[in-house]
Amino acid sequence: MKLKEVDRTAMQAWSPAQQHPIYLATGTSAQQLDATFSTSASLEIFELDLSDPSLNMKSCATFSSSHRYHKLIWGPHSMTSGERVSGVLIAGGENGNVILYDPAKIIAGDAEVIIAQKDKHTGPVRALDVNMFQTNLVASGANESEIYIWDLNNFATPMTPGVKTQPLEDISCIAWNRQVQHILASASPSGRATVWDLRKNEPIIKVSDHNNRMHCSGLAWHPDVATQMVLASEDDRLPVIQMWDLRFASSPLRVLESHTRGILAIAWSMADSELLLSCGKDAKILCSSPNTGEVLYELPTNTQWCFDIQWCPRNPAVLSAASFDGRISIYSIMGGSTDGLRQKQVDQLSSSFGNLDPFGTGQPLPPLQLPQQTVPQSVVLPLKKPPKWIRRPVGASFSFGGKLVTFENAKSQQQPGIQQQQQQEQQRHHVYVSQVVTEKEFLARSNQLQEAVQSEGFVSYCQTKIDTAQADFEKNVWAFLKVNFEEDSRVKYLELLGYRKDDLRKKVNVPGSWACVKCFPDGCIHRVQPKMLTMPRMVEVLLYLWAKDHKQETEDLGSAKKTFNISVSGDVDGLITQALLTGNFESAVDLCLHDNRMADAIILAISGGQELLSRTQEKYFAKMQSKITRLITAVVTKNWKEIVQSCDLQNWREALAAVLTYARPDEFAALCDLLGNRLESEGDSLLQTQACLCYICAGNVEKLVACWTKAQDGNSPLSLQDLIEKVVILRKAVQLSQTVDPNVVGALLAEKMSQYANLLAAQGSIAAALTFLPTNTNQPNIMLLRDRLCRARGELPVGQEALKAPYERQPVPKGRAGPVAEQMQGPQAPAQQYYQQVRIAPTVTTWSNKTPTALPSHPPAGCPSDTQGDNPPPPGFIMPGAVNPNMPPQQVTPSNYSMYSQGGTRAAYPQTYQATQQYSCGTGGPALYQPQQPVVVPASASYTNPAPNTTPPYLPSAPAHSLPSPLYPGQPQPSPTSLNPVCSFPLPLGASFQHGRLGPPATSVAYALPTGPTGTLPATSDLPASQRTGPQNGWNDPPALNRAAKKKKVPDNFLPPVPITSPIMNPLADPQSQVQQPLAPAAPMGAPSFQPPQLPAGPPVLTEGAPGAPIGNAIQHVQALPTEKITKKPIPEEHLILKTTFEALIQRCLLSASDPQTKRKLDDANKRLEFLYDKLREQTLSPTIISGLHNIVKSIETRNYQEGLNIHTHIVSTSNFSETSAFMPVLKVVLTQANKLGV
Amino acid sequence: MCLLLSPPPPQVSVINTVDTSHEDMIHDAQMDYYGTRLATCSSDRSVKIFDVRNGGQILIADLRGHEGPVWQVAWAHPMYGNILASCSYDRKVIIWKEENGTWEKTYEYTGHDSSVNSVCWAPHDYGLILACGSSDGAISLLSYTGDGQWEVKKISNAHTIGCNAVSWAPAVVPGSLIEQPSGQKPNYIKRFASGGCDNLVKIWKEEDGQWKEEQKLEAHSDWVRDVAWAPSIGLPTSTIASCSQDGRVFIWTCDDASGNSWSPKLLHKFNDVVWHVSWSITANILAVSGGDNKVTLWKESVDGLWACISDVNKGQGGVSALPEGQQNEQ
Repeated sequence: MKLKEVDRTAMQAWSPAQQHPIYLATGTSAQQLDATFSTSASLEIFELDLSDPSLNMKSCATFSSSHRYHKLIWGPHSMTSGERVSGVLIAGGENGNVILYDPAKIIAGDAEVIIAQKDKHTGPVRALDVNMFQTNLVASGANESEIYIWDLNNFATPMTPGVKTQPLEDISCIAWNRQVQHILASASPSGRATVWDLRKNEPIIKVSDHNNRMHCSGLAWHPDVATQMVLASEDDRLPVIQMWDLRFASSPLRVLESHTRGILAIAWSMADSELLLSCGKDAKILCSSPNTGEVLYELPTNTQWCFDIQWCPRNPAVLSAASFDGRISIYSIMGGSTDGLRQKQVDQLSSSFGNLDPFGTGQPLPPLQLPQQTVPQSVVLPLKKPPKWIRRPVGASFSFGGKLVTFENAKSQQQPGIQQQQQQEQQRHHVYVSQVVTEKEFLARSNQLQEAVQSEGFVSYCQTKIDTAQADFEKNVWAFLKVNFEEDSRVKYLELLGYRKDDLRKKVNVPGSWACVKCFPDGCIHRVQPKMLTMPRMVEVLLYLWAKDHKQETEDLGSAKKTFNISVSGDVDGLITQALLTGNFESAVDLCLHDNRMADAIILAISGGQELLSRTQEKYFAKMQSKITRLITAVVTKNWKEIVQSCDLQNWREALAAVLTYARPDEFAALCDLLGNRLESEGDSLLQTQACLCYICAGNVEKLVACWTKAQDGNSPLSLQDLIEKVVILRKAVQLSQTVDPNVVGALLAEKMSQYANLLAAQGSIAAALTFLPTNTNQPNIMLLRDRLCRARGELPVGQEALKAPYERQPVPKGRAGPVAEQMQGPQAPAQQYYQQVRIAPTVTTWSNKTPTALPSHPPAGCPSDTQGDNPPPPGFIMPGAVNPNMPPQQVTPSNYSMYSQGGTRAAYPQTYQATQQYSCGTGGPALYQPQQPVVVPASASYTNPAPNTTPPYLPSAPAHSLPSPLYPGQPQPSPTSLNPVCSFPLPLGASFQHGRLGPPATSVAYALPTGPTGTLPATSDLPASQRTGPQNGWNDPPALNRAAKKKKVPDNFLPPVPITSPIMNPLADPQSQVQQPLAPAAPMGAPSFQPPQLPAGPPVLTEGAPGAPIGNAIQHVQALPTEKITKKPIPEEHLILKTTFEALIQRCLLSASDPQTKRKLDDANKRLEFLYDKLREQTLSPTIISGLHNIVKSIETRNYQEGLNIHTHIVSTSNFSETSAFMPVLKVVLTQANKLGV
Repeated sequence: MCLLLSPPPPQVSVINTVDTSHEDMIHDAQMDYYGTRLATCSSDRSVKIFDVRNGGQILIADLRGHEGPVWQVAWAHPMYGNILASCSYDRKVIIWKEENGTWEKTYEYTGHDSSVNSVCWAPHDYGLILACGSSDGAISLLSYTGDGQWEVKKISNAHTIGCNAVSWAPAVVPGSLIEQPSGQKPNYIKRFASGGCDNLVKIWKEEDGQWKEEQKLEAHSDWVRDVAWAPSIGLPTSTIASCSQDGRVFIWTCDDASGNSWSPKLLHKFNDVVWHVSWSITANILAVSGGDNKVTLWKESVDGLWACISDVNKGQGGVSALPEGQQNEQ
């Protein structure tokens, strides 16, 4: 999919991978004159901004240059040191100059952007490359075999990699090895490539195709395999990409022939060695796998040739291509829609022409009828197979219960060797489930709490808490809680508040002394022990109090006691006396009150009867306004609410004490609550926390939770633990002492408890979590959690709770099911809370009969009526399939809406199906409870799964593996109905063995290469890149040669050649002996199950250009004499017919073949058959092959080429690969051509 | 008062090793809602479901239907039955469903033009809604409409050259900390986050039935590989973790109810691509996968700094003993 485009005829260079944002530098191409025939040149930098959906590239800078460029590269030199924040841009100019630019300065608009330049080369510099390992090293190539190595740190004098190659020729490409830093390769249009070792300062190997038609336009090293490289040919007669392995440099390992005309540029992805880009004069841009030759992707392009193509180093899915029509296009290989592109074109048109009336004619344009073909397909498909970089190798996901699910796929191993192969075969794909415990202290404390609850050792638990508590308040709280479990709790509370009976009694009972008054220094009831205040004592106290206010008078009175003088004078005393003497208490009291003689009045009132006393008290209270009056009022009138409501909150302790002393049991809790409320609403945070104590006294769990939560940071597990410990203990206490239903759980407590249970569950303590969940609640979150916990433990929710499974299992009907009648009723089904039961199948009746208890757990009243049906359900909540077709929803009585009941079903199907309930729950209907059938893999006959309880052994079946498995084979989808295990299960393994080739291949085949009998696998193309190739540790230990993997016929004794040993130039003294060395890299080596009968009968798919086998005589040292020049023995007479027949056939074909490519192939074949003739001369071929060849000759004589091909196939499949691979593929080419041409 | 001590290192112990018998790389492994079943998917094109209760492993299903590597699997909430979604390089999303003990394909979505890289089910409160992110740059939202049909909404060009991950925000009613138990359907605001090859994390919000880009979070300098919206723990803060090709993991938080001001905090810069992030159910631990193929656990300290609290061993060495009663049946 095209992402961006720039209208330039220019060379291009992406910024290095380290650079962010991504830039693209363009430099006016020296080769091309653009449409304006302008000779000016510029260097520009664009930013790739993918967040901008338009096709425009964001221009960052333009630098007007005096040079035009043949090559532009951008290296990361000095980026990490910060010296050049954006690296160095290196340009190859027309006049032999190499110029270094600072792109950061270009972007900044500086005038001086050139770091350095040298014109040491004698001709245009067409080839440049930066060393990956030492980014200060740049190689350049120009005419006259000139190659220089530049050190950017010391740019003055370049080095040479060695003596110039002869004859002198242009250097068209140059590339540093991607694995070994001192290896460099250069190539020239003549087709020759030279590999240099800079440590030796000389060429170490030359690579050249014998047909001399290569015209090298591209050279690239394998990103992962040190010894492999590709060469691209610009020659229209040989538009190929050759993949070479230097370990047998006699012929290419593989030849990619996907282009029909010369290739102009190639680029090998560093992110995935499966991806080689090439563009050619056939106007195609292809992405192929160099390891298999398969074309993975063809970019949708216009008809223009591209002359430069580059992968973006930072964004591996992005590439740029410069075409001769003056445009640089940025593409993504991940596919997508090109709607955006078309939109841009439309926009451009309309902006150029104006809307509808381009020429101002006043006439709107008629709608354009576009021919179908001009509308480009808007959808661009991605690569045929996923690039390496999107294959996630590792992952870890949390799941319920603090479990962590992890997997990792070992990075492709880099140590080749047979051992390694075995390891790979043994590599299992494991998933690990781990328990993560992060809150050990939390768990330990939770366990202690659980133990206390179970053993009912509350007192000692509280005592431990008191002893270990750090803060006084904490101690206090625990002391309060502990009191709950003790006798005479109110008294103990009082003691906790600081009021001890005995203390006060001692103080009060000091005989004959008024010293007690000192106890009340400010008239406050600081140390009142109200329990003592029985009525007489009360009076006593009141007297003291009064006396305090009227200390002087009291003292006078005291002295008056000495004499007794009844005064009847006219003053108040006299009047009182008269009243008393007449027994008129009322008047006497009135007189006393009037004269403010309170004590007298009250004492008299006591004698005057209850009624008078009450009145007198009232009057007294009305008159007296001392600080303690209200307390006294409350004590006398028993109106404790007044005290609690209006006391100064600093005295909450006293108020609470009073309540503890006097309040009746029925009002006690309310009064404590009231006091707590007041404390809580007080601004003083200290007081707020004290409210908890009130709530503890009140036994009000809910309030305690609310208050505690407000005061504490409730998010840390330990803080929650602090709360829950108290709550649990308090609840236990309440259960013991009070009549309140302990099972009632408020919303907030439910929230906290479920939070706590969640925390426990998150630490893996699922059982503990269950024990702490309140049992008797219809709080939805608790019910949900209970259900989840139970099922997580692998149980069904049992007992009462099971009947309240928190949510309806909502089955999704099969997508293929048509909208049958009952499904149409779906939307009219009553709206449901998700934990409701909508299933009303007949079985439900049974359940509800058995489980009437389910009914009370109906959704809260707030929910829409079950039976109204006037509220459409939220989409997806009602699965119509679940609605009983026989019973319209409207008729359903609520009793049918029982909760989904696993308990019920268990009762109904008690023994047989228990094991399967786990799997079948929620799928609805009686059919649900069918026993679990063996699960059989559909569409994969090579799997058997005899029983659900065993892991199915994977039985590799050779035919299945040998089947070609196209990536998207379009194989018929298994019809869901065919998934019936009974249908697929009986398919015996043998059946798949025999018929496997006819049917669709098992889908499992595609990626099976690395394990099992891989020697038979043709589907190399499906081999994941990561396993095919891997990063290389060193020059001398290359991984598997994929050539071997590609050929399907690797025999048991095939031994790939040894890796190049250091030094690479060592003459191969005895090629055969080297071949005999057992060597690891070949992937399919040593597969014991390899047997000829398992070989596929199908013809091998070899590219014609591919050479023969990597056998000894195919290995030629580059400097060795061509074998042709060695004097040859004659071919034995009896076999001469082979040579003559084949040569004659080739001649016949050549005569009738018309197109040059075929002729070339035939020519090539003629040469290649020399291998066969050599073998005939040496008499090294086995008799079966010889006789097979003679049979072929006979079939050629009868012109029955098809028969010849069949014999050919037979030979190939039964013979030793190394024996025949040098010539048999060529022979096949000849036979095929002959058959095609009908000669 | 609880003492805030530095937490001891967590104990991570392998309690079950499941040999999946996948024939190629595993790309995802997810437990169901209860933690009793494990779904895995692989480059071998298959999706497998195992019963892993009590440390065992019983293959329940081997689901074939994808024609390319399967990248991710996602379990739907069990209130809808046993439903699993999978997405693949073959450009398809398949929704699998267990019927009568047998797993079958119940829906196949082929509306993407490139690899579908991520699937994520919306909170169950919204119904059955699946978000799918694709390399074609689009995000699809598949909603079960209650009549056997799925409605598709598509956000085109959500992330240029590809969306790599989608993750839903938890269902929280604005202004309410506690779920309302009443029958009224609460007025949820649906949101999800996505990450893509344009280096961006984006937040999408549904307004009047249309999905709109609400926020564009910029901090990463390379592909965003994964995003994970933290589960709600009853606080008004929203938290998203994102990880990238650039090795960075960011924690994004937003305190205001309108959801407009997100601020990033760098959790760590790893040396290699970070592929995956996953929150614990209680949202206090983040598992980070990648950075040289390792899994590390991270926790935010009291002072707001993220600290690595553990490397996760893969069952090779350094593993504490199996808990009692949990045996590997293998």
